[in-house]
Amino acid sequence: MQKIIKTTLTIILISTMTYAKNIENENVYSKNCIPCHEYLPASLERMFMSYMKIYSGEFTLKESLKAFLRKPDKEMSVMSDLFLDRFGVKDKTDLSEKELEEAVNIYWNRHNVRNKLR
Amino acid sequence: MSASKNRDINLLRSNEKQSLIRFLSLYIFLVTMLLLLLGVSYYESQEKLMFSNQRTILSTYANEQVKKLKILHHYFPTKNEYPRDERFESAIYDIERIHIFSTLKNRKIDFDKEIYRVEEKIHFVKYLDDYYLGAKYLFIEIDENRDWYRETIISIIALGIITLTVLGIFGIFFMKLFMRPMKNSVDLLDNFIKDTTHELNTPISAILANIEMMDKSIMSEKNIKKLKRINIAAKTVSHLYQDLTYLVLGHQTKVRDEWIELKELIEARVEYFSLLATPKRITFHLDLETGKLFIDAAKIARVVDNLISNAIKYNRRSGSIKITLRSNYFIVEDTGIGIEHDKVTAIFERYSRFNSSEGGFGIGLNIVKSIIDEYNLTIKVHSVLREGTTIRVSF
Repeated sequence: MQKIIKTTLTIILISTMTYAKNIENENVYSKNCIPCHEYLPASLERMFMSYMKIYSGEFTLKESLKAFLRKPDKEMSVMSDLFLDRFGVKDKTDLSEKELEEAVNIYWNRHNVRNKLR
Repeated sequence: MSASKNRDINLLRSNEKQSLIRFLSLYIFLVTMLLLLLGVSYYESQEKLMFSNQRTILSTYANEQVKKLKILHHYFPTKNEYPRDERFESAIYDIERIHIFSTLKNRKIDFDKEIYRVEEKIHFVKYLDDYYLGAKYLFIEIDENRDWYRETIISIIALGIITLTVLGIFGIFFMKLFMRPMKNSVDLLDNFIKDTTHELNTPISAILANIEMMDKSIMSEKNIKKLKRINIAAKTVSHLYQDLTYLVLGHQTKVRDEWIELKELIEARVEYFSLLATPKRITFHLDLETGKLFIDAAKIARVVDNLISNAIKYNRRSGSIKITLRSNYFIVEDTGIGIEHDKVTAIFERYSRFNSSEGGFGIGLNIVKSIIDEYNLTIKVHSVLREGTTIRVSF
């Protein structure tokens, strides 16, 4: 009986830690990306499609996005001139490399078209 | 006349036949290779033509699909149903050649060819400038219409057969043209033998008959020796006459096959040839058991005569000839000059002689071989240079 309780507690602990980790990861994206984009007319989803239309592959898209976030440049932006004139180019990210990596991965996983087409 | 011509053709030397076969084989091989090359070239041109026709249709399908992908890209993810068309299947891959979505029946794809065939499907690849849904490569797949293939193969086979037949006829014509000088030489020799054979019979018969009739009891020892020499010479010519007669008339005479007791025949022929062996002091060793063979008497006599005659002719002085007879074979073994290993197969060719120092036309073993072949017997020659030759006839 004691053994069963121990095992159950271990499973609950591991599950909680994993969930907490996911929440933390999600937080990197939710805390640092979503708040700013909420007030923009172009959603993160539409922006992703614009990235996809230009960069196509996962590796290419992620690397291009990270490069832009590290050093935003009007020439590098996938948004239209009209949009950029109105809202300007974003500020340089203050996320660490690890956080940036995680945020971009979450962004890719949320919006890429694979496994969503039917 | 026609029988004579047929015989001439039949008696073509084996090396002439070999030359004919080699020439024809090489000619047919080269012509076939040329036709195959032309066939492959024609097939490829037809395939290109088919691809060219299909490319136009597939390009239209691809453009239509791109438009649909563009719309889906715009409405994604609100709409997420991949555009399908009953006329074709399609697939999209990203710039890193990673699969995004596919309805292809055959997934064996090639990114580097614009259009290609794979297992009765045709794939067409369109490279997108705008990567809708992340797609860089759009594959369009349709079923291959195999009519062109059937028509092309039938054309190639039909034209190939016609061309091969025509060129084959040309080949035989040219071959005959090239072989004519060689055949003329053989014909000339044949005609010479025919003409001389007719003139030999009467004088030889007269010489041999008169030698037998001579009263040797009243002759001096010296004259008896001279008479023996005349007898040997006459028998040699008689043997040659027998061979030439067989060669010229052998195929025209009626065949009378019967059971022949070879022991009696060999003993009789050895006695006949013993006189020829005497000057070279050749001794005969006979080891004869009973052996019967169903064959024409004149023909088996030609076989035995020629084997014994050669064994004497090509033997050394004071040599020996051993003849062994068993129920299913006989062997003639001499202690003569032997034959070089690479020339053993050529000894049965007409006008071929072991040694140019000895007389003869080189027709004896050719006759032996033709009789052996006619009766499905087997002949094996084993010879060691300067030691002797062993010829075994099995039946």
